[in-house]
Amino acid sequence: MIYDYDAIVIGAGHAGAEAAHVLAKTGKRTLLLSLSLEAVAFMACNPNVGGTAKGHLVKEVDALGGIMGEIADRATIQRRMLNAGNGPAVHSLRAQVDKNLYHRLMKRKLELTDGLDITEAEAAEILIDNGAVCGVKTAMGKTYSARAVVMATGVYLDARIITGEYVRATGPAGFMRSTALTANLLALGLDIRRFKTGTPMRILSSSIDYGAMEEQCGEEGLPAFSMLTEDEVRNDKKCWLTYTNARTHKIILDNLSRAPMYNGEISGVGPRYCPSIETKVVRFADKERHQVFIEPEGADTEEMYAQGLSTSLPYDVQEEMVHSIRGLEKAKITRYGYAIEYDCLNPLELNAGLGVKKYKGLYSAGQINGSSGYEEAAAQGLVAGINASRYLDGKEPFVMRRDESYIGVLIDDLVTKGTEEPYRMMTSRAEYRLHLRQDNADLRLTAKGRELGTVDDERYSKYIKKVAEIAEIREALKHRYKPEEVEEVFTAKGETLPGGSISGEEILRRGRLSARELLMIDPAFSKYDYDAFFNVATEIRYEGYLVKEQRTIKEAQRMEEKRLSPDIDYSSIEGIRKEAREKLDAVKPMTVAQAARISGVNSADVTVLLLWLRKREAATAVSAKSEENGKDGE
Amino acid sequence: MKDTIVAPATAAGTAAVGILRLSGEDALSVAAKVFAAKGWSAETAEPYRMYLGKADAGNFADKAFCMYCKAPKSYTGEDVVEFHLHGGKVVLDGLLRRLVALGARPALPGEFTKRAYLNGKLDLAEAEGIEDMISAGSEAEAMQAYRMMGGEVSKGIERVKEFLIEAAANIDAVLDYPEELTDDNMPLIEAALTEAKAELTRLYEGSKDRRMLKEGLSLVLAGLTNVGKSSLMNALLRDDRAIVTDIAGTTRDVLRESFELEGVTINVSDTAGIREGSDEVERIGIARAERAIEGADLVIFVTDCSVPESEEERALYAKIRHKKHIRVANKGDAEKYPREADIVTEAKTGANIDALTALIADKLELKKRLETPILTRERQIFAVKAAADHVDSALGAIGAAGLDCLAVDVKAAWAELCSLTGEDVAESVVDEIFSRFCVGK
Repeated sequence: MIYDYDAIVIGAGHAGAEAAHVLAKTGKRTLLLSLSLEAVAFMACNPNVGGTAKGHLVKEVDALGGIMGEIADRATIQRRMLNAGNGPAVHSLRAQVDKNLYHRLMKRKLELTDGLDITEAEAAEILIDNGAVCGVKTAMGKTYSARAVVMATGVYLDARIITGEYVRATGPAGFMRSTALTANLLALGLDIRRFKTGTPMRILSSSIDYGAMEEQCGEEGLPAFSMLTEDEVRNDKKCWLTYTNARTHKIILDNLSRAPMYNGEISGVGPRYCPSIETKVVRFADKERHQVFIEPEGADTEEMYAQGLSTSLPYDVQEEMVHSIRGLEKAKITRYGYAIEYDCLNPLELNAGLGVKKYKGLYSAGQINGSSGYEEAAAQGLVAGINASRYLDGKEPFVMRRDESYIGVLIDDLVTKGTEEPYRMMTSRAEYRLHLRQDNADLRLTAKGRELGTVDDERYSKYIKKVAEIAEIREALKHRYKPEEVEEVFTAKGETLPGGSISGEEILRRGRLSARELLMIDPAFSKYDYDAFFNVATEIRYEGYLVKEQRTIKEAQRMEEKRLSPDIDYSSIEGIRKEAREKLDAVKPMTVAQAARISGVNSADVTVLLLWLRKREAATAVSAKSEENGKDGE
Repeated sequence: MKDTIVAPATAAGTAAVGILRLSGEDALSVAAKVFAAKGWSAETAEPYRMYLGKADAGNFADKAFCMYCKAPKSYTGEDVVEFHLHGGKVVLDGLLRRLVALGARPALPGEFTKRAYLNGKLDLAEAEGIEDMISAGSEAEAMQAYRMMGGEVSKGIERVKEFLIEAAANIDAVLDYPEELTDDNMPLIEAALTEAKAELTRLYEGSKDRRMLKEGLSLVLAGLTNVGKSSLMNALLRDDRAIVTDIAGTTRDVLRESFELEGVTINVSDTAGIREGSDEVERIGIARAERAIEGADLVIFVTDCSVPESEEERALYAKIRHKKHIRVANKGDAEKYPREADIVTEAKTGANIDALTALIADKLELKKRLETPILTRERQIFAVKAAADHVDSALGAIGAAGLDCLAVDVKAAWAELCSLTGEDVAESVVDEIFSRFCVGK
């Protein structure tokens, strides 16, 4: 049979864009379906890319040949490095991004990608033949045949938005929703649940009194998200900070009976990390004020995003609440905040390659998997796309371990533990945080991407150059400085002066000194790539801690190496508690390590499982041996 | 299907009470075939209640208590029936044989514990506590093993884990929400870590008392020659082990004996009397005595009230006073030269010896030692020590390394403790962050 396409991607948001792009890049004829072409890579909520843990995800996506980083760099209007004072592992690049520009650049990038077709259509049915995907039928009735499908439906499945008493069956930001696909997924026997998230109001810039707020400018001298970015990244727009106050809180509390979150109108599960202002005021009643960041939605729009005021309160309460805040007394609301409810999959339906366990060729990525955030979506889109491509080639899925990348942590958390609320990436979820840094994302992943065929020559040659540069920096750090050369910087930092000469490496190991001080002593280092220099400095400075972490990584890897076949019938393993047997059967872990991470599977269960595996191995060995002996006898 | 197993739950040997334990689906029906009591039957037996009745071993019957623990609220998580019988091998073995004849299977060593473990009724620390109880020699060690079962150590460890999670949450909240959490929470982190350290130290110090349970405590009798140390030792042992004469220097070496005090083994050493200008053999004895004094948990300094206090006596006391000690003024019947002493005894007649043993128990802090949770396994001690080291290193890194590095030590300490209780480390700092801090935009 000749298929219309090799693969079809449903949804052109941040997950769909990466999935479609990587499929096409690995030589697959790909169709990308979107409800509206105006919604391609649309940033429906905050105007940022990156931030804590999310910045790491963007860097990793870029290292593996994804496109979010380069587009974000080109659409950036302000950037900062969060956590610069809190240690090298958590330095997190965060960019204010022009939403409209981001959408336009991404759409163009996809339009120019060879082997990729983009069509505006609503997917209504995923066609299955004999347990394997064979195509997609649209709401118009047209059928496209393909052997692989990636679902990346975002928050559009049976979505509805809620602003107080106003409830509307629609997707975000006025885009239409998808109505047909949920019923199809249910008919396919998939576990569907309902999640909720929200967005704050947008405010007209000219109606804001910025004089009453704290100004926040971008920082200079920062690296880009993408290793392909060579142009200067724009950094001239400002953000502002103001606060809620007692009056704001009183307005909210007085109107709580009209809040959908509290009067029972919203049943979906909302995220704890992205609480609405009404939730914050109720849960943390003793907090006198909450931050409100005013951020530009773009460079050529007057609309400002009120970060921190996510709400589904009625329009009149939103107005009263906004007007009670310093600097927003006369604010004009251009769009009201709303909560949005949508259908998504229970991620326990997926294996670690983001494939739906029940059907061959069916993959799923982004908010449909219970995650939230553009970066989380892009990361999953990339992996789902890679694995759909590998499936078409008859190859094993590509799975990253928790010690290899934040993407590995993200996917493992989703498919092993499931999630009861929209999942956000946090650095605290990564147990090997010191190793998973922004500055080494490419060192961790680019060679892998090259093997996978997702890293092209341009990116690869830059990676090779960086590796060489790192060796060069290590060499340069052996240079010794005379005490008088370092005196000024040492004294300023309160470090004791060395008795004799001191090498660059030794300077980095001094407690009070860091890469920055070394640059002051020897400005020649500034010629090196920011990430390369920072990488070497960090590896030297934190060697002791890195070694400590490395030890636990090695221990954990032993459990990762014990593979588990998806065919194991856990219900038949006596000794494992019933609850754990059910969980194991539901997750069908790929390794013993993954099995041990399932909540509800305790160490006793794992011990029994190991004993069972041992016994089975022994039995297999015996039968193999007797077979061999039998042959000998012949 | 799991069969019903049976075994004595008390150690072999003569004891006042012996316990037989049945565990499994048929525990109650098998028990019904041997036990009879007023208002008791397999159908009506009230769980967790002791019934006094008669257990029939076939060729004899004995008075017995019977208690039924209903699954899953039992030691193994299965139906359990316990018979409390008169102690002694004959009674226990007789009933055991009868129960086996009626369908129960003799349990393999550790099988009850294994079942409990597999049914998720024990964490590792508890399981090891039980293992220790099975091999417990003295009463106190058994008590200690019991406390482990009740989770005294686990409780101490839980407290440490709470401090550690507080520190970890304070660190991670800042790292994940640097723009929102701008207050300096370093004092909170430092305080939590300091508390964790103190609790870990308490647990670790307590573990040193494990030696006391396994090997007993050492009590050394010291004093000049012929002050009556050997008589005092005999009085303590209520035995005539040491040679007692009136010739100074009779005890030429260190004699060792032991007695039980509050269930703890006390090893008593009677040292050679210390005196100047003695012969070669005695000098060696004296050197040993000085070493024994140094290694003692408690020294009893014996003086003779029938002779005046000498320069030698004062010199010897100077060697002892830095040790934990009791000053005993002996030979109370001839108290011509009273001494400054904690207690006056007459060893030969046994006068005041009970008061002395009470004082010994008090000085050795036996009660307090027995109440402190004690880590009983090498692995536990190792883990607590390792956790303490990690916390130390975290405390040392405050101000010198980034918060991300600090977190490595805090989480390493936490992981050590989780490995100790056999619990899953999956517990999440993330939950803690959201319950403590108002973050997220």
